[in-house]
Amino acid sequence: MLPSTFEDYLEAVLAITGNGGQSATLQEIAAALGTEREATGTTIASLVEEGYLERATDDAVRLTEKGLSVASVVARKHRVLQCFLTEMLGVDADAASKEACTLEHDISDETIDRLSSYMDGAQPPAGRMGHCRSRDTCTLLDCKEGDTVKVATIRGPRRHRRLLDLGIFPGEVVQIRRKLPNQSVVVRVKGCDIAISPEIARSILVESCP
Amino acid sequence: MRFALIGNPSVGKSLIFNQLTGLGVEVSNYPGTTVELQRGNTCFQREMVELVDLPGVYSLEGGSDEEDLVRRFLEQQDTDAVIVVVNVTRLERNLYLLLQVAEYGLPMVVVLNMADEAAKLGIEIDPAPIRDLLGVDVIQTAASQGKNIDRIIPAALAATRPSKVEIPYDHHVEAAVRSLGKMFLVDRKESVRALQGFGDNPELLEAARTIADEIESRHRMTASQIIAANRHNFAHRIADLTLKEELLLRQTDPDSILTRLFPGMPILLGILVGMLLLVFVVGSFLEEIIVEIFNVFAIQPFLALGLPPLAEELGRSILLALQAGLGIAFPYVLLFYIIISVLEDSGYMTRAAFLADNAMHRLGMHGGAVIPLTLAFGCNVPAIMGIRLLHSRRERIIASFLVTMVPCSARTVIIAGIVGSFVGLGAAFSVYGIVFVLILITGLVLSRVTPGERFGMIMEMVPLRRPDPKLVMKKAWARLSEFLFIAMPLLLVGSVVLGLLEFFGIMAIFEGIVEPYTLALLGLPGYSATALVFGILRKEMAFETLAILAGTADLGAVLSSLQLYIFAVVTVLFVPCLATITVLLREVGSRITLAITVYTVALGLLIGGLMYRILS
Repeated sequence: MLPSTFEDYLEAVLAITGNGGQSATLQEIAAALGTEREATGTTIASLVEEGYLERATDDAVRLTEKGLSVASVVARKHRVLQCFLTEMLGVDADAASKEACTLEHDISDETIDRLSSYMDGAQPPAGRMGHCRSRDTCTLLDCKEGDTVKVATIRGPRRHRRLLDLGIFPGEVVQIRRKLPNQSVVVRVKGCDIAISPEIARSILVESCP
Repeated sequence: MRFALIGNPSVGKSLIFNQLTGLGVEVSNYPGTTVELQRGNTCFQREMVELVDLPGVYSLEGGSDEEDLVRRFLEQQDTDAVIVVVNVTRLERNLYLLLQVAEYGLPMVVVLNMADEAAKLGIEIDPAPIRDLLGVDVIQTAASQGKNIDRIIPAALAATRPSKVEIPYDHHVEAAVRSLGKMFLVDRKESVRALQGFGDNPELLEAARTIADEIESRHRMTASQIIAANRHNFAHRIADLTLKEELLLRQTDPDSILTRLFPGMPILLGILVGMLLLVFVVGSFLEEIIVEIFNVFAIQPFLALGLPPLAEELGRSILLALQAGLGIAFPYVLLFYIIISVLEDSGYMTRAAFLADNAMHRLGMHGGAVIPLTLAFGCNVPAIMGIRLLHSRRERIIASFLVTMVPCSARTVIIAGIVGSFVGLGAAFSVYGIVFVLILITGLVLSRVTPGERFGMIMEMVPLRRPDPKLVMKKAWARLSEFLFIAMPLLLVGSVVLGLLEFFGIMAIFEGIVEPYTLALLGLPGYSATALVFGILRKEMAFETLAILAGTADLGAVLSSLQLYIFAVVTVLFVPCLATITVLLREVGSRITLAITVYTVALGLLIGGLMYRILS
């Protein structure tokens, strides 16, 4: 088993190079991981030594076959965990990504397989899981000024109780009264205008109204 | 007999309370004005009736401080009847709270307020459905005109039965309510609350959580969401029966200009800058007149009396304090309070909050923080109390730092009186510039380093109203009289103490000790340090003390422009006043208060010292 740092490096290289064909420079890798350039160089060197990476040029590396298979497994774990955390548990997207980064190294392949098939099996209502597979539902932020939409789900429903009390709950029809370029929105619900910050508006999933 | 007023924010509870009790509770047009219970008495047919004004809330089951306060009050059943005040122009949302209150099983009366505004919008109201469905008395009122207010108390006295309404919940919730009721012998209201995770019986909560999880997995909605949706839908049905809306011509919607980036943003900045400019120009003009009148008619005749030296020193101190106090109070403080009261009552502040949301996020808060920051221009004390509308401790800490740095009306006096009069108007505004830049930097840094959770803004845009001039003046006057009765005695005592210290030569000793330091650090004479210290009591005293110590109101004659400028900057930044420190202690605790105090002292001395090095 590789230590988690190595897995993080391989995952980062995979993310930078797309599907592993091209090469990634040391600088890009250091920036993606937020590490010091020197430390990056040392770790990369030992990864090359172990045969996970190969040098493309002096300053750039690409994944070997062995490296690619490890990186794809870790990346898949990350995706599945992040999807589970945000869509099923309603964890905030940023927090979920961070958490997935820690969990991905320790979780077994079997658990990930089971988690993935569990999520496929769960029959979600429109809007909840849709985000993971396709993009047919949108958040309040994707709407235009003047749109009338129906609230489908609210992510992290326990965080914003006031939305419920002001009448923004699944099934309610709301009108977008104002949307500023900086993504703050005003919605009209039950005859009242409610101003909502972008990060909250993003957690309100909506369906277009028939 | 005791009755409680309850309702959504900005429905006119406080106005009704004032009219019934004759007391002066503050009325403002944004959520969160009343944060504590207000009690008052009124007489009806020789019987004493106590009225309690509860803070405005949207629900009894949210987690905010006001909501907790109202819920605890209702749970104690310490009232003979509740008077639910409802804004008929927003009936449906208001009924949601009404239904929750009805579940508490207290005798109640429903007041449909703002009937006049509803009529203007072409809404016709039939109170019969509410009366029949809930089984309670319904009164239509127009509090701003005082219409039908006199019928509230008799109706509350006659109310003896609780509402008979039962909100029809989803059948899974109903089943859960029944089984919880059987298992734990609790009533409907308690079961419903337990399903949402509220209550204090751990066994009941445990059982309710199991059932709520079950409901959630079936419905893909949390139990709270289902319950809220059921209540909203029931409220919607009642509202439909009650209102007969006739479509009138839509009036022009001012929000179409106020809440767009353009021209909304320029309007917001214009209002803030205009407020400062107006207070500055009009304030210093009025102040000059008052000071001149005092000089000619009081101080000169008094000095001409030729009294013994001690008596003359005392008398002069008192007269100087009066002159400075009045010269400050009327022009600056009153003007600020009038403008801020107009802004508060108009409902514009919630628009400002919306526009500034993005900018405030950068400073680590949300748009609502604009309200306390603007209030702080009048006085930091109510502004610090206003930071409660921010949810998390992180936001409150950042806001408390920034609010204490905003130049309040007393500090405006220093800027206008010292820099504006003796250096120039441009220089005076540059002091504001420096302070605002420092506030921005402080906010940017704090938002990076303060730990804690971020919450966004969910704020109702209250209806815009034309502020009632009478109410505005009353509020401004109430705030000014606080200034006159609390600040003036302090000014007088401080002035006399200073005069005596000066007379007996103690002052000279103190100044002799500190002078080397102030001269080296800031280039200021020793007596300015005394003025700074007195500024901690009340900010405007720094100005007044400086004038007394310098022995003349014409500061330009004894100090250079640079010295005056540096003195003003240091005083404006230096330590919040005593009153502010007291509320800070209550709102954010001693550690943060200490941090703010140390930070502002250090900042004041640092900036003053830097300016002395660079400019001299």
